Amino acid sequence: MRVLGFADRDWRTGWAFAAPGLLTLAIVMGFPLVYAAVISVSSLTLLKPSLFPLVGLRNFVIVMSDPMFWGALWLTVKYSLVTVVGEFVIGLGIALMLNRTVTMKPVYFAVLTIPMAMSPVSVALIWRMLLQPNLGIANQLMESLGLPRIDWLGDPGLALWTMAAIDIWQQTSFVVLILAAGLAALPRDPYEAAEVDGATALQQFWYITLPMLRPVAAIAVIIQLINEFRTYDLPYILTKGGPGNATEVLSFFAYRRAFLGLHLNEGAAASFVLLLIVLGLTILFFAVLERRR
Amino acid sequence: MQMRRRIVQALLGASMLAAAGPALAEPITLRALMEDVPETQIIEKLLPEFTKETGIKVEFEKIGYGDMHDKLVAQLVSPESYYNVLEVDFLWAGEFPAAGWLEDLKPYVEKSGFDLKPIIPSMLDLLGATKESLPILPMYNYSMGLIYRTDLLSDPKIKADFKAKTGKDLAPPATLADYVALSKYFKASGGDLVGAAMQGQRGDPNAMEFSNYLFSSGGAYLDAGRKVVLNSPEGLTALKLYADNIQNGAQQGALSATLDDTMRLMCAGKTFSMVTYWWMLPQLDNAEKCPSVAGKLALSVMPGGHGESGGWGWGIPKNTSDESKAAAWKFIEWVQSKKISVARALEGHAPVRSDVYTDEAVLKKYPFYKTALDVVASGKSFPIFAYSAQYEDVLGTQLSLAGGGQAKPEDALKAAADGLTQLMNK
Repeated sequence: MRVLGFADRDWRTGWAFAAPGLLTLAIVMGFPLVYAAVISVSSLTLLKPSLFPLVGLRNFVIVMSDPMFWGALWLTVKYSLVTVVGEFVIGLGIALMLNRTVTMKPVYFAVLTIPMAMSPVSVALIWRMLLQPNLGIANQLMESLGLPRIDWLGDPGLALWTMAAIDIWQQTSFVVLILAAGLAALPRDPYEAAEVDGATALQQFWYITLPMLRPVAAIAVIIQLINEFRTYDLPYILTKGGPGNATEVLSFFAYRRAFLGLHLNEGAAASFVLLLIVLGLTILFFAVLERRR
Repeated sequence: MQMRRRIVQALLGASMLAAAGPALAEPITLRALMEDVPETQIIEKLLPEFTKETGIKVEFEKIGYGDMHDKLVAQLVSPESYYNVLEVDFLWAGEFPAAGWLEDLKPYVEKSGFDLKPIIPSMLDLLGATKESLPILPMYNYSMGLIYRTDLLSDPKIKADFKAKTGKDLAPPATLADYVALSKYFKASGGDLVGAAMQGQRGDPNAMEFSNYLFSSGGAYLDAGRKVVLNSPEGLTALKLYADNIQNGAQQGALSATLDDTMRLMCAGKTFSMVTYWWMLPQLDNAEKCPSVAGKLALSVMPGGHGESGGWGWGIPKNTSDESKAAAWKFIEWVQSKKISVARALEGHAPVRSDVYTDEAVLKKYPFYKTALDVVASGKSFPIFAYSAQYEDVLGTQLSLAGGGQAKPEDALKAAADGLTQLMNK
């Protein structure tokens, strides 16, 4: 009779505890992902709902030979970088302030989480009303300050950045929460030593806070980068990709292919390209982080 | 012993209740995804009457047009549709039947003896009716015309100023070029009044709006043989005038505006005109809702003689139960009957039955229904085929680029025409 060792028992117990979660993940994430992968190499359209014949990479070639795909990709990259940098810089600033605050901290946190708790669709609808050029509050405020009215979402040169600003408004609180938790967990000893050595507040921030916060900051950045690459709700509600193609990000491009063009297969292929880009960025980001460590 | 008897009685009672279950079954509930427009609200008010007559409950889920197609498609490709009666736009009248999602209503019409004769033939054609089949029964039409402010046209100061500046008499526009010139005049006059409230958002809003400009200037999308003829001198004139009006006659933000935005602007009295659905007139000409413009509005056929014709219809999804299908037809038959159509028209409904346009009570309340009939009769249709919804987006993108000055009208028109050819050949 074989007696199970500690390692064997740990292994089995571990799997037993993990199994429900893994099974749930396989059902809610694994299955759709695999099914989408199959659709992307199939001939499935809404008019001919059959997976067969499988067409290999043809849908990927069709999608990637469309100049609008590359335009949408470039817009997505610009949009994601601007929003993530904006969210991180503002979020870090607020988190640092909150870290020094002693009183009313829970109130500040509660207020800060309000935008994050709202659905992106509600946020977009509210901002669409506020920014309505003729009857919206934003332009009335501008006028009362003697400033010209601005065509926030109708100006092709401005629409993407207006959308980015709305996104930053909503998503910054998430970054604040993560960074504030990271800051609260930092040890006090290095700061005390630095103070004894006469380091200024800026030097303490640059040489102690930032390096020690790096793992937490990296998590915040990568989560937000993934979120921003997938942005769909805001362009859908605010601009429908317009004016012209000014706000047509990659996820909206995939939606158009699938539901307006009725080609689910091409939409799935575009989504997979998006997934691969995000996956590549995530791996790259963690690799760089690991090397610096 | 007594205890046992009570238990037996209780079990017997429970069994009888369970057996009576089917007799106490919930009545059928019809669910429809509806566009959030006045027409829906008009029907909604009458629904208790239908439930009282038939015992069938009807629930409307109201959302904006832009979200309807995707929500419906998701249901129609599922094993069983949540919506068991459908409101179908004419733009989907190529796609939905081609995908095999709709019941043929012809057998229902024949079985129930529903009379199709009063229904305006162009409305049946618009929604894909043939001799062999009837996938969609017309519900209401949304042909487009021009709604404008009569008080501004009859204002002596404005008349004199217009004459001094242009040498012409101020009058309702006769051509598309006249209309755009008038629109630009009002915007240039300063103040917070603009010449046209335009719905320039990419997609359905600007594709529908531009179609009026195209038909008004004598252009067309397709010829009689369904060959693409959009890229024509008339088409170019239409696009140039459209872009000119967006840039110099319309409100700020026109390129991102939808129907709701234009309605609000007109209601607030901040525009001279809007190219819109003719049934918006009673909604705007309403002292309670829009005191700034009530009693100061008129409707006309698009200057140039033709506007965009459109319409909604009723359909029954294939992926619903037979019981639901029968109930859905009962509702469709009721809501499109003359009695209910007249009741709807008295609330501002846009009829698809010719006998409602000539009904005395309707004409007494709304004399402009005479003009409305002209708007409907002179309307022309956007190309209807399996990829109409996608074409709206293709065309809308080019219109938006031209309207925003990011593309030359010549290039945008060529791209729009090429896009149509590609999709027609798919």
